[in-house]
Parts: sequence; structure tokens; C-alpha cells
Amino acid sequence: METGIKIVEGSCKGCVNCIKSCPTEALRVIEGRVKILPELCIDCGECLRSCREKALALDEDDWDLIKSHGPVALMADPTFCAQFSHYWSPSLIREALASLEMKDLFDQAAVAFDLAALATARQLEEASRESLPLISIYCPAVVRLIQVRFPELLHRLVKTETPLETGTLLWRRRRGSKEGVILVTPCSAKVMLVRGPVGRARSMMDHVVSVKRLARDLLAAGPKVEGKSESPIGSRWLAWALRGGESRHVKAFSGKKLTTMAVSGLRNTIDLLQDLELGRLKGVDFVECRVCDLGCIGGIGNAESRFLSELRLSRQPIEWDVTADEKAELFELYESGIWKLEQPIQPRPRPSLADSLDEAMKKLKAMQAFYAELPHIDCGACGRPSCRALAEDVVRGEGELTDCVFKLRERISLLGEEITHLSGKLPHAFHERKHPK
Amino acid sequence: MDSHYEVEFPVRGDDFLAAGEASNQIKETLVMLGVPSSISRRASVITYEAEMNLVIHAGGGILRAIITPEKLTIEAIDRGPGIPDLDLAMREGFSTASDRVREMGFGAGMGLPNIKRNADSLEIDTEVGKGTTLTATVFFGR
Repeated sequence: METGIKIVEGSCKGCVNCIKSCPTEALRVIEGRVKILPELCIDCGECLRSCREKALALDEDDWDLIKSHGPVALMADPTFCAQFSHYWSPSLIREALASLEMKDLFDQAAVAFDLAALATARQLEEASRESLPLISIYCPAVVRLIQVRFPELLHRLVKTETPLETGTLLWRRRRGSKEGVILVTPCSAKVMLVRGPVGRARSMMDHVVSVKRLARDLLAAGPKVEGKSESPIGSRWLAWALRGGESRHVKAFSGKKLTTMAVSGLRNTIDLLQDLELGRLKGVDFVECRVCDLGCIGGIGNAESRFLSELRLSRQPIEWDVTADEKAELFELYESGIWKLEQPIQPRPRPSLADSLDEAMKKLKAMQAFYAELPHIDCGACGRPSCRALAEDVVRGEGELTDCVFKLRERISLLGEEITHLSGKLPHAFHERKHPK
Repeated sequence: MDSHYEVEFPVRGDDFLAAGEASNQIKETLVMLGVPSSISRRASVITYEAEMNLVIHAGGGILRAIITPEKLTIEAIDRGPGIPDLDLAMREGFSTASDRVREMGFGAGMGLPNIKRNADSLEIDTEVGKGTTLTATVFFGR
């Protein structure tokens, strides 16, 4: 199993800052090195933010190597268009990229995002009242979070493929092109769209590079642009970079009035999913969650401050009215089913303590007994995010109780007492000489 | 040998901030034991609604989950006011929750009906002035 995060060999100092930041307790620090438990990792990137040593990084491909192999086609995340102050619109970015011999897939993206919004709007219209609200699949970290922690919400995920994938498919079909497509990602979660997609066997995209890496390259080259672009590029897809953009887009295609909720940030996402799980979101049709603050512009792989990106996006003129021509094209694509998720999304629960319930109960009891012995202050010195996690690792055979410094001290103290006690015992020979008859 | 696993949580009355914690922990326990998600989802609804009843109506009590290889039993025990008319209380939409509680989004009168819907069997032993013991069971084999 893969994750969208890589460990930079030799950089980890074993400070255990990261293990506390992980919402699914997927990190351990063992023998001074950070370790990811891939079955628990949701690729959210919180650990990257917390690491001062830069020992955790986005697992992107080598951009210089890809570039050296000739012309490239870029499927850029909408956040890419909010990174620059002087290339402030997609058509200016297109011009800048073209001067560096890079092809963009902006037109296909604009269509694919429209199509995804339309497909989601249709699913909302056709859904029964009990099956609402449906949940957006756009943030891959949210999908993983649901697979890992909220499997009972899986059936609520919309069955729409991510438009980044659909856009690539459109491009390949229309051009019949075999060139490699590079996803330009704002976060570690979207790395997995290429490396290990959920809901399809494999991605149509070939490589993945961060927004940050590409934006820096573009800024360093600093090509002059004149704004001479002929054909305008659709703008609605840019809204997806911000929290609430997808919901707004879905509403533009919906025949009925929709009640939507959009939250961003990991904690807000977890809280909202909990509310949803407990059946407290009655009357809501669509839920849009993004694990990064303010939406995708808050992703760890961006170059620009999320606040400046937000400001820039809020100034973008977005044409929400869909023209008749656009509609005709979209309805045809909708009928073709190109937007559909290939496979159902499966739960990914943490493996239980043992295969049989009986055995698992024994282990759980043992785990509670271990836990009771621990100090319950979750100091992290054992390399686990909490005393509970250490107790669990111990019963899973992946640690020892003396990994806890408090337990270790206790053992040393007991050992010390025993040594004192033993040293007080006198040899028999000496004993006899001391008490002569 | 008859093996079983038991967890118990005290629930404080009127503590709406902590409400849901006990049911969350019970759910996590079920996941660790490898109980299928279809079962743990039903169990979550039962424990959450039972916990909320303890918070809203009973002035607190005890929430207990007993797991055996065949079934999960959830008990909610309180020494609250008791339920005067059980048939009425089982009806959807009937609630005696105060306006204050309703303003917080609780007390919609769906608690007991929700528990009944998700449990394979449900017993409620109640006496006015003495308290209530609710016992809900979910069988793993069904």
C-alpha cells in the first residue's frame, strides 16, 4: 500500500512532533526514525506541516527529469491558476506555459469540471430522500478518511470520477494523443490520484508534480506575456480551488433548489462527518468537505499563501450561466457516461486485533490491562501518538511496554531495589565466621 | 468457556458538550474487535440515542456494552424520572424534551423509535420515580 507522502532519508531527528498532528494516528517514531502505517494514512499532509526538519515530503516525481524528456502536457489543479500575481488568468498562464513549450489541458479541465458538476446535480435529483445528503469525492483525503474512519458513509459518496481524471480522458480521446500527462497537484492527497487511485484500476495520468515545483519554475523563467489569447477559457472550474466552489457549481446545474454545506479544515471535516453519521444533517442535499484550510488553495503543495490565493480567486470573473452550446455538449458527454467512477469505493478499516472475535476480545482485554499501567499523559516519548496507541502496538506485537519511559524508570527502580536487597545478603561462609560458636 | 468483553461509561446529565463520547468509544471498541461495519453502524445509532436519553431526560446514568461471540448487548441504566407512558414514548415525534433542549437540535422524539429500528430486541424496564433500564441487543449472525 502506498501513500502520497515520502520520508526523506536521514532528515528525521526523531522529535515526535508529527505523530500528534496525524488525525488517524498513522505515524510512529521507531528507533529515531519516522514510520508511516499506510493502512491508516489518509494522505492529508498534516504531518508535512508539523515537520521542522522537512523529513516528510510530498511524494512527487522528478520534474527536471520529466522535462528533459521533451514536451509535456499538464493537467493543472485549479489552484495552479491562483499562484501568480502577474499571470492572473488561465489564458495568461497558457501563454506563459506555451513559451516554455508546455501544453496545458485547461479547456478539457473546464469541460470536465462542468461535467462533474452536472453529473453530481443529476445524482442529487435522482436520490431518494433517505439517501441524502450525498458527499463530494473531490478531496481524496476525505474519501480515504471515510474509508478508514466512517465506512458507513461510503454509500453517500457521489459516483462521479474526479474531473482531473475525466479531463485527461477527454484530452486523450479527442487528440488520440499518447503523450504523458502530468497532474499538477496542490497536496499529498491528490498525488494518490495518479499513484493509487480509488474507484478505478489505474489513472490515465502518468506523473505527478506539485504546484509549488512548477510555479517556481515558471516564476524563475518569468516569460513575458501580452494577453493576446484568442479563445476564452471557461472559468467555473477555478471556483473548485476554494471551499464552496464545487457546491456553487453543482447548483448551477441543478433543476431543484439545493441545500449544500461546505466545510474546510481537517477538524471541521471530522466534526461534520460525525454529525452526518449520527443522522443530524436532515434537509441537507450535498456535503462538500476539504481537509485543507480554505479549500485546495490551503494544500501543502502550493507556492502561494492561501490568503492571497483566495483574494485573487475572489476577483476572477466567473460566468455561472451555462450557454446553450455548452449545455448541448455537456448533455452529450453526460449520456456517454465518461464521468462515471469505474468501481465502487470499498471500506478500508484498520485490521482488527485478531481474526476471530474470541481472540480479539482476549487481546483487547490485554490491551486495556497494558493501558491501565501507562501514565495516560500521551507524552509521545515512546514514539506513539498516545498511551492507547502504545498499548495497541504492544498487543499487536509491534512494541514493548518498556518503550514507555515511565515504565522503564519503574523497572529500573525495581531492579535497583532488588540489587540493594541482594547486596545485603551475606555469603554463608562469611556469615559463619562472624558468629563463631 | 463463555468469553465476553464489557465496557462501561458513566454519562453525566445535561452535559451536551460531552454527549456522544461514550457511544464513540463503544464504536471504536467494536472496530478493534473486527465487528462488521453493518453491525457497528446499528450499534452506533443505539448507543448514541441511549446516551442522549441519559443526558436529556434522566439526569445521567450508565451506558454499558457487553460483547460475546454471538451478540452485542447495550444497557442504559438510570435513576431518573421513569417513563409514565411507554407506548406513547415509543411513538415517532413524541418528546417530553424542554424547549431549551430542542433549541440545541435534540429532543425530536426519534430516540426510542430509532433504537427499536436498529436493535434485534429491545426491553425497557421503567418505573416512575425510580428510573429506567434499557436493554438493546444486536445479534452478529443476522
